Amino acid sequence: MPETTVESLGSFLETQVLDPWKGPKKVIPEEYYTSGHRTCQGCESAQLMRLMAKAGGPRSIILGATGCMYVANTTYYSTPWVVPWMHTQLGSTGSAATGTAAALTAMMRKGKMTKEPINVIAVCGDGGGVDMGLSAISAALQHLHYNLLILCYDNESYANTDIQVSGSSPYGANTTFTPPGKVHRIMHKRWKKNTAAMLAAGHPDVKYVGTVCTSYPVDAMNMVRKALSIGGPTFIHSLDPCPKGWDYDPKYSHELGELAVETGMWPLYEIERGKLKMLGRSQRIVNGQFKRKPVREYLMRQGRFAHFIDEDYDYVQKKTDEMWEKWLIPGVIPFFE
Amino acid sequence: MSTGSVEVVYRGIFQKTLAKNICRGIVFAAIKEGKIGIAFGRYSDSPERNGIPAKQFAVVSDTEEELQEYLSRYEPDNNDVTMVADDTLCKGVESWAWYGLQPINKLLAKDGTLLVTSTQSANKLIKTIHRKGSPYDLATIKAQASFSGLWVYKDDHTDVRLLGALAKVAPHIVSLDSVLEAIKDQWKDDKKVASAKKAHDETESTSVGAEQGSDAEPFSFDMPGYTKMEEGLVIRGIAAKGDIPGRDGGFVPGRNPTFKKYSTRTMRPVINFSTCTKCTLCWLNCPDTCFDITPDGFYEANMEACCGCGVCEAVCPVKECVTMVNEEAFEDNDSQWELWTKDKDGYSAWLAEKIANPPARSHGFHHIGQYAEEIANESS
Repeated sequence: MPETTVESLGSFLETQVLDPWKGPKKVIPEEYYTSGHRTCQGCESAQLMRLMAKAGGPRSIILGATGCMYVANTTYYSTPWVVPWMHTQLGSTGSAATGTAAALTAMMRKGKMTKEPINVIAVCGDGGGVDMGLSAISAALQHLHYNLLILCYDNESYANTDIQVSGSSPYGANTTFTPPGKVHRIMHKRWKKNTAAMLAAGHPDVKYVGTVCTSYPVDAMNMVRKALSIGGPTFIHSLDPCPKGWDYDPKYSHELGELAVETGMWPLYEIERGKLKMLGRSQRIVNGQFKRKPVREYLMRQGRFAHFIDEDYDYVQKKTDEMWEKWLIPGVIPFFE
Repeated sequence: MSTGSVEVVYRGIFQKTLAKNICRGIVFAAIKEGKIGIAFGRYSDSPERNGIPAKQFAVVSDTEEELQEYLSRYEPDNNDVTMVADDTLCKGVESWAWYGLQPINKLLAKDGTLLVTSTQSANKLIKTIHRKGSPYDLATIKAQASFSGLWVYKDDHTDVRLLGALAKVAPHIVSLDSVLEAIKDQWKDDKKVASAKKAHDETESTSVGAEQGSDAEPFSFDMPGYTKMEEGLVIRGIAAKGDIPGRDGGFVPGRNPTFKKYSTRTMRPVINFSTCTKCTLCWLNCPDTCFDITPDGFYEANMEACCGCGVCEAVCPVKECVTMVNEEAFEDNDSQWELWTKDKDGYSAWLAEKIANPPARSHGFHHIGQYAEEIANESS
């Protein structure tokens, strides 16, 4: 019986070949997401959009689910997009991506469009991706004959609608749905959903799944370029510090992203054709070359954890230690032996 | 029989709780006098974003019918008092629902009062405010703008001081006695009551003539109707000519001509081109794509696009190469790089003066316990 490959499914289309940029000075000067958006000062999700658009280049179509990157970016005549962008509903990131990729394939097959590889990138926040749109993303990741990238910008809450708790909010965070009170100090007790690893484990045919942080911009762009070049459906999850919801001086956006990685709370890794590789600081943590910073250094810099007392810091530290010391695959896959 | 309205202009998120406390305080004080009132945020400012100018209103009437009648308009547009919670807003506001730059006194009634939180003198402030065309009064409470965040509030009494000052400049809306009573009810804190009383006693107004103020034309654009709107792209990309690759002609990204964002800025980066190593980090990490690449390979913050987040200062590896300076120290959005190219010594002197003693400014949460430390320092 012939092996089922994406090519054998018939409608496979070439991808663009996007080589990695070796260092910040090699990054192109062209901007496809420019000024003119109404995000917060120091918005790392806007920074992610900018990096993603730069990495994808001019022949890209961007689809955006409802969220900050829809509302703050595209009200009447305030927009930063230089490449085509389309809005889709909160839960339909995956559907929009599949539909667009399918439409492009069909139009090119019928000769209604010049045949050329066009990047399809669908972006969603953690509300749209980690919570509401998870099933549609899962469906998109099973359509192996379409080239698409789903990029989740995770600011750990429904930040657009003024900070409601999401499946991606970290333990104990203050949100409008989980305000600390006199009787219950900690109102949010779930550990952050392990989305990227879950999608990689659940969709083994997907050729590329990765986690990024905008504090490492060149790496983030190169991962987007790799995902777009490799073909088929791909997924990238980005942690974006949010001055509004996390409550900090916008100037520290970059530093907080680094702290999230250095404390081990946000592991950086990629799974390329089934092969896991830890990246950057996270790789050094696993190798024992870098000692994780105490989570307290990260948590005490954010107003959303201002109600924490020693036992809360200790609990988060204990859970983070488990991620790196007890998980089956440190930082990626739980299950204890 | 009358209706009075107060508009509070503030920095989104940073001063959301402050504005809410003020508008609620006005309504609670009005109730003490047997009046009726309502406090509300402007719908089109929601969801708020850090630093983007936003508005809340308090409307007070003698009777419910009058209040209903007043509220039938789109938004209060003839306010007795416009409170400005941060003096850099005096340069004008480009908020969610206004396309272009709105002068800060645009919605102030003739002979109304502009009440500003500022450490600047009235004369200096007037120079930054657009000409109104009709006379009004300017009053200030001496304070640094009070900034905090969504979860941790910096209780430095700015809210009650503005309420006390309001009772002085517009006693027909709320009297001092009712303001003090409402503060006591709400916070049960005699120190806050004393702060309000002190601000009331110290507040003085300056008359501003119809023709006084800045004569700069506020940035504006014509809003095209749907028949004239373009399909698809709003921002033109810049065609790749020979001047982009290799960067030897400089590179200015295409920019949105209709939304500038610079009225969000409370601090601006000043760049020391003499020590810049062209490392690219400020340019690469700017969420607002505000850096232009100059023909000689420097990165210069475009002051029409910069919203003053300060990330460039944080990522710059060279000491004092990028320094954030209080926006009140600047009068225009001119290019720093052009100034530097024309006159390097002059630029160095200008730069040294700007970064030597910039007026202090808080910019939100840094660590737990910081606000208590700041309040202790300010009161000592």
